[in-house]
Amino acid sequence: MLTQDTAPQPRILLTKSFIDSHDRAIATIALALRDAAMEVVLIDYEQPEDVVNVALQEDVDVIGVSFMSGGQVETTEKIFAELKRRDVTDLPVVVGGTIRPFDVPPLEAAGVKAIFRGGAPLTEVVDSFRTLSRAYRGLAS
Amino acid sequence: MSPETEAAHLLQNVSGGDSLAIARAITAIENATAIGAELSLAVRGRPAKCRTLGVTGPPGAGKSSLISALTAILLERYPRIGVLTVDPSSPVSGGAVLGDRVRMAAHSRNPDVFIRSLATRGHLGGVTRATRGVIDVLGAAAFDLVIVETVGTGQSEVEVASLTEVKLAVCPPGLGDDMQAIKAGILEVADLLVVNKADLPDADRTAGHLKAMLHYRGDAETRSLLLASTVTGDGLMALAHAIDARFRASINEDRDVCANMTVTPATLADDAAELVRAFVRYTRDARVSDICLAINRGEIRHRDGLIAAVKMFVESCDDAAGADAHSRVGS
Repeated sequence: MLTQDTAPQPRILLTKSFIDSHDRAIATIALALRDAAMEVVLIDYEQPEDVVNVALQEDVDVIGVSFMSGGQVETTEKIFAELKRRDVTDLPVVVGGTIRPFDVPPLEAAGVKAIFRGGAPLTEVVDSFRTLSRAYRGLAS
Repeated sequence: MSPETEAAHLLQNVSGGDSLAIARAITAIENATAIGAELSLAVRGRPAKCRTLGVTGPPGAGKSSLISALTAILLERYPRIGVLTVDPSSPVSGGAVLGDRVRMAAHSRNPDVFIRSLATRGHLGGVTRATRGVIDVLGAAAFDLVIVETVGTGQSEVEVASLTEVKLAVCPPGLGDDMQAIKAGILEVADLLVVNKADLPDADRTAGHLKAMLHYRGDAETRSLLLASTVTGDGLMALAHAIDARFRASINEDRDVCANMTVTPATLADDAAELVRAFVRYTRDARVSDICLAINRGEIRHRDGLIAAVKMFVESCDDAAGADAHSRVGS
């Protein structure tokens, strides 16, 4: 399907820490979202605040953060704090990758809209991004 | 509020440098919404002080890394820099992976550098349909320099040449020989040819081919050839100076800086089509789907249907003008 050049595709930011070289998960998700007609912006962040700055410049509809080795809760909380500081509290954030059971309650308390742990079905992940994106733009899902 | 009024409000925040407003304005222009169409009209013709640099070259030539390194240097002379980086949309799904700014991470936190990734959405030519409008938005936001990175180009994607003052062709070592160097295409529209990745062994040979090509052209030749490496940092400062010198020369040429504001029948036609298209596509007025239905059922001629849609657009403009006048009287 060739889309029209004005088609308003969902825009997604996928990101991981620049010191984390585990990019298999993020590449897998990026390809799945691309194949589902979404525009995916990729960055490796140095500070959690970078994620929000880039998300605002790119006017994305969802932020997805991938974790492997650590900082799951701390980084996510900092992203939410920065979203609040920049006054865009409604921008949805999802996390994925190595999310340990004890990370889940604080991540949910921080406000993440979805958690994709290892083994999450790809179709479910894609649907989740699409639904959140449409809701953020005020479209029916 | 009419799209025109809404666009004016957004533009006010854009001029104030609000990065979210700038981002939303770019989205509107990209999606060619009614507000986007009004915005592109309102920002047409960027301020004279906004310089524009086009960067093109094949995939993997190192355009993004080079732009990132140049931005760090050029910030000294151009305090606020906008970077537009174009990547291809999938011809299969319409989606895109926009990965250029991975190479520009050094500027992720700098409030004086605004980077936006654009997907081609089926547009050929190396940039997007909306790139001119997006450059103008950054001009309206008082950026001193806008750098446009094209998709990875082959030979004929030269649209960026008509959008930017100074053009940089990034040539990686090892692609082709002297025959490739004399072909028509992106090398012709560039002001500066840069052999990037100059730390690689083939760089001198590639530079040699390009140098010979420039030499064959004799005195008529105005392009310069430079070598640069973002790995070693060699040649970057010289390249930044060469870019700056080109900007100065283009100012001294006393070119009509308002050239891009001149309205011709062709631009008027495009702009008119854009406004009508945005209205017909996004209006909530149910009569548009009725018209489509009637055409599809063969009840009315296609041509009559579209004229009815254009009349609806004209009506909506009259209504909006009336409503705005009324609200002004009210306030």
